[in-house]
Amino acid sequence: MSLIADEIIQFSSVLRIAYNLLTGRNYLKRKKFREKEILVAVTLPFSDLPFAAGTIPVFPIRMHQFEISQYLTYLGSASSIFGWNTVSNFLGFIRNLGINEVSKIVDNIIEDVIDIINKKYNEMYDIGIENGISSDFCYGLKSLIGMHVTKGSNVNACFNVTIRCSAYNKYLESLKAINQGPKQIWVDIPPRNIGNAIELLTENISTALNEFEKLTGNNVTDNDLRNHFKIGNQVKRSYKNIIYDISASDFYPCNPATFSEIMALLSITFQDYNSNAARYRDNIVSLEKEMRERIRKGIGMDVSKMPRIFVTPMFGGWEPKSHEIIYELGGRALYADWELLKLLEEIPTGPHTNPSEEYARFLMRATETGIGCDNEKLTDSYLRMASDLNADGLIFFQLFGCHSISNCYTMLREKVRRELEIPITAITFNKIGENVEQVKTRLGAFMEMFK
Amino acid sequence: MDDSSLLSEFTLFLKEKKQEGIKVIAYLAHDNIPEELIDAAGFFPLRLIFGGNDELMDASHDFLPPSTCAFAQSCIGLFSVKPNDYKFLEMVDYIIVSNHCVSDICVSEIISKYFNIPRLNFYVSYTINENSLKYFKLELQDFRNQLEVIIDRKISDDDIHNSILKFNNFKKKFLEINELEMLGSEKLKLIHKSMLFGPDFLHDLENLIQKVKNAPQSVSNTSKDVLLTGCSIFINDNMIDLIEEGGGNIVFFDTWIGNHYYSQIIESNLIDRENDPLDVLVLRFKNNIYGDHSVPDFLEQKVSFIQKYFENYKKNKGRKLGVINHIIKFCDHISLMSSFLKETLQEKGIQVLNVERDYSRANRGQLSTRIEAYLEMMK
Repeated sequence: MSLIADEIIQFSSVLRIAYNLLTGRNYLKRKKFREKEILVAVTLPFSDLPFAAGTIPVFPIRMHQFEISQYLTYLGSASSIFGWNTVSNFLGFIRNLGINEVSKIVDNIIEDVIDIINKKYNEMYDIGIENGISSDFCYGLKSLIGMHVTKGSNVNACFNVTIRCSAYNKYLESLKAINQGPKQIWVDIPPRNIGNAIELLTENISTALNEFEKLTGNNVTDNDLRNHFKIGNQVKRSYKNIIYDISASDFYPCNPATFSEIMALLSITFQDYNSNAARYRDNIVSLEKEMRERIRKGIGMDVSKMPRIFVTPMFGGWEPKSHEIIYELGGRALYADWELLKLLEEIPTGPHTNPSEEYARFLMRATETGIGCDNEKLTDSYLRMASDLNADGLIFFQLFGCHSISNCYTMLREKVRRELEIPITAITFNKIGENVEQVKTRLGAFMEMFK
Repeated sequence: MDDSSLLSEFTLFLKEKKQEGIKVIAYLAHDNIPEELIDAAGFFPLRLIFGGNDELMDASHDFLPPSTCAFAQSCIGLFSVKPNDYKFLEMVDYIIVSNHCVSDICVSEIISKYFNIPRLNFYVSYTINENSLKYFKLELQDFRNQLEVIIDRKISDDDIHNSILKFNNFKKKFLEINELEMLGSEKLKLIHKSMLFGPDFLHDLENLIQKVKNAPQSVSNTSKDVLLTGCSIFINDNMIDLIEEGGGNIVFFDTWIGNHYYSQIIESNLIDRENDPLDVLVLRFKNNIYGDHSVPDFLEQKVSFIQKYFENYKKNKGRKLGVINHIIKFCDHISLMSSFLKETLQEKGIQVLNVERDYSRANRGQLSTRIEAYLEMMK
């Protein structure tokens, strides 16, 4: 995987995002103990209200110590003195000089990032099962339970947003049984946008904000909400630009496996913005710029002959070797889960808007037209996304124990074949690394169709 | 438990309904569906409360992965295979797509789409609070509109009131089944029949209850009393046989079909014709605190209810009570909370057996052993 690592080093913003993800524990400890900030556990990309309320949202896995290379730590320290760009350029310069040892070290640092995170996910999965969750549940839920069992007591509150997945909602309820300390703050999204459902959701959001106010002792003003939404919108804009302008284009700023690796990193980190919205915004904006700059200079790879394979869903667990295998088989894997679920929609921030209501509209849109209140809607989302990405094929990860999304596959397969007329296949998934050979075989057979 | 005669009786009953021009609306029988509205609009509400077997589960795999709730799989299997006992399913005119759990959505949607049964929508919020009650009313209004479009007339408030009274009275009688001195399997047969036939069964139910009251059926003194919680034991499921063969006797059904249903009785003085009848149905939803759909207090309510029942039972009957938590494999609600429920109840000195199973014949031996071992331990 050295090629992938070689490519990533060209993007200092990726290094920063990866570094911030892996070193979350120290950052959060500092925030909690030195700066007396309030930590709030979040899952899925629902960090907007905690940010606006002045708390620190955290996707719980980030409270863990990761086995990161000491070199990344040195890199982080050096960057705090010299700046990330300087460090990145310096490393690139050394590598270009052919000092292999340094180049190898740098390669190792980067290639380890996704592997390290996934190893930790698997560890959480095992802890989840050891602590009583039935092995019949999906990878995501088992891992989330593991995260809360191990680190959930460190947060001051859990922010719980109901979605259509009943297992997920029950998992949210179980959090107070796992750790009795943290306050539970809920937003219940009405299942459908009928009557004055938006008004009710707006009130639910206001109630949640009141709970945040009690937690922090500070008022959350409309401007607090708008200011955070502005940052969130910038993040979403860059994220969308990367998805549509770059991942769907014919020239990539790096090889496609690297590109997928970056997209996977964004998918994970988008949930809590690495606990610092402004820093994350700066990084993703600069990532987009770096990509565009490389494309402008003609640095990268012509991928016009490589079929676009839309790989989804991956947010609840997927085999991360897939994109590398697809690349080796001559294709490119596209990841766009959050956009598919309509969670990259911008939230209006005009001075005369009611930000709570705008957030309610955002959540309702995601519920109604993204994840959908039934499989008819959900499958439409997959179709829309595959079509928007101009995908040549679709790989659907069918998670063992997922009753919400995986169950739509039969309907999706029919629709894709009928309406898009592109190949589609399902790959069953239980745990990272468990069935890589089987995944290879399935992908091999699938990619044959494009030859 | 062979329920062929019940099903054949029900087939005749439904045929008669159809001959009277009554249309049938089916739904996965969760406890928040407004059956009173269905009745008021002149339809027959058919609860899908049928257990499964290997064949039915297998038949669903064309539509769903095997890691789906066994009950949900079987519901699809029933529409796909249409076994002889279930030919009455051909009489279903509409199916309600609802979100008791996500499998409810998927299954009802599949039944509608692949077996050409028009769908009606009825969704429920996950929490119970002031706003979710308001939302519930929106869904009721929407559901009423959907029904009115089909029948091409308005459903009067009076008709809804009458149906509310009818179902409420039925539930009050239904509640009495609980206190009857009879074997659990016999009780369950009564519960099944009541749930399937609905208020049409009221007259027979009254007679049967009176009959048992006059001549209580003897239950072996050596059998162990059990409260069944978690997933329901549906029609044509042998689970209760396994419990009774192992030496247990279910004295209370704290499930979908059972306590969750009749605990929604509304006090008569609250059913006021001057008020909007939909508000009464909202009240019923509000009172449904034991249903497993809701978060975040389901576990607390469940523990508190079982604890109270357990203590009263010990005090009044002087007998020990076991708790069997019945988990149908891949059930989101019951399975996820099962370890927490068991742990919390055991901390309170209540022994709990979590029994997880699907409808396959192969696991019968293993289930028997586990149930027997648990009941032995209760000595």
